[in-house]
Amino acid sequence: MAATPLLEHVDARTHAEACVTADLSEARDRELVQAIGRGDEDAFRGLFGRYAPSAMALARRVARQPFLAEEIVQEAFLAVWRNPSGYDQQRGSVRAWLMGMVHHRAVDAVRREEAQRRRVEESMVSDPVASPDPADDVADAIDLPEERKAVRAALEALPAEQREVIELMYFGGLSQSKISERLGLPLGTVKSRTLLGMRRLRGAIGGWAR
Amino acid sequence: MMRDHTRIEELLAIRSLGGLDRQDVAELEGEMASHGPDCEECRRFETEYAETAGRLAFALDPVAVRDGFAQETFEQAFGSAAEPAGERRVAQRRRGWLRPLVGVAAAIVLFAGGVLVGSTVTEQPAEKTVLTFRSETESGTLAAAFTPGSSGVYMIGTGLPTLPEGKVYELWLFTGETPASAMCATPTSDGSVFGFSDASLEGVGLMAVTVESSDCPSAPTTQPVFTAEVSA
Repeated sequence: MAATPLLEHVDARTHAEACVTADLSEARDRELVQAIGRGDEDAFRGLFGRYAPSAMALARRVARQPFLAEEIVQEAFLAVWRNPSGYDQQRGSVRAWLMGMVHHRAVDAVRREEAQRRRVEESMVSDPVASPDPADDVADAIDLPEERKAVRAALEALPAEQREVIELMYFGGLSQSKISERLGLPLGTVKSRTLLGMRRLRGAIGGWAR
Repeated sequence: MMRDHTRIEELLAIRSLGGLDRQDVAELEGEMASHGPDCEECRRFETEYAETAGRLAFALDPVAVRDGFAQETFEQAFGSAAEPAGERRVAQRRRGWLRPLVGVAAAIVLFAGGVLVGSTVTEQPAEKTVLTFRSETESGTLAAAFTPGSSGVYMIGTGLPTLPEGKVYELWLFTGETPASAMCATPTSDGSVFGFSDASLEGVGLMAVTVESSDCPSAPTTQPVFTAEVSA
């Protein structure tokens, strides 16, 4: 279904607002990481306060165990404190770098616990990312609302089959071969859907041309 | 001449989501090496897909961290630099896992030490059930704590023998004759073990623990060393 001009206008405005907010936010994050590099404890507290709730959401979603999620989040933040030079401004935003560390640790933890991961796969079926949630209003009020809105809109705009493989891979911690088995799809189809979906997301979230 | 980056782009996109299989990682490394460290297109794809994937985390609603978690993290960062990393890690893990289990662990000590050893169920005031395991061969005390009718089970043990390297305890939940893996856990050097699984206990009549390889097989490969019957 084609978007109406009004909707396109709203989408464009939302994206523009998100970009401006993201730029300011990113500049602040970089300052915090630079200050952490100088041993500034308050900067570390600031970064933690800013991103720990999102990091915890990601870790809990992937690892599915609250105590394991805490361990993952703590490890990721301690890695920032101990090695802030691991962040390279040329390689992207602080928040993506930080969430990447959390995600890698969560996926590693899940794959070490193969048996538990099977439960994660099952629970994914009834726990879609983009489902309406009455807590959204509260969450939006306290934590990066424009970023959240933009990412959700980008995910929701994907064709369902592309969104499905991306969510299973990223939030479910499944490898492409496991997704192939689970969905009964050829591996090549999983790969192509992932690539097509990620190309779209790259354009929508990052603003990069395909 | 412009080189083809289709395969590299595909592998990088999947890697950014954590979806590569082991053999694909090797292929990606080979492809990247063949393009050389100065391949700007490779670097661009790598950066852009990593950024995109990292931002996906913000699709989720934030989760408030537990009271005290921030302070513990700051103490880890600022306050205990003299503590060796390995010990700090173990201590951190145990502190984190122990906190919600203090009441349950106390119940186990009272229960196992003062009442009986064997497969028996006792009701706790908070409707938590603590089930001690029976063993013919192993020393120590192992128990499961759960709430009947709810998902989720803790496995808690003390004084357990140290397992060979690469071995773990794996908890199985039997529905009829069929075992389902619930969790794997490794005892610490002092013989303590803690673990949690969000598995459903509906229809489970027996819990058993086997010693398995650390990759947690999906079916038992050894005989149980601990067993406990679950009353209806």
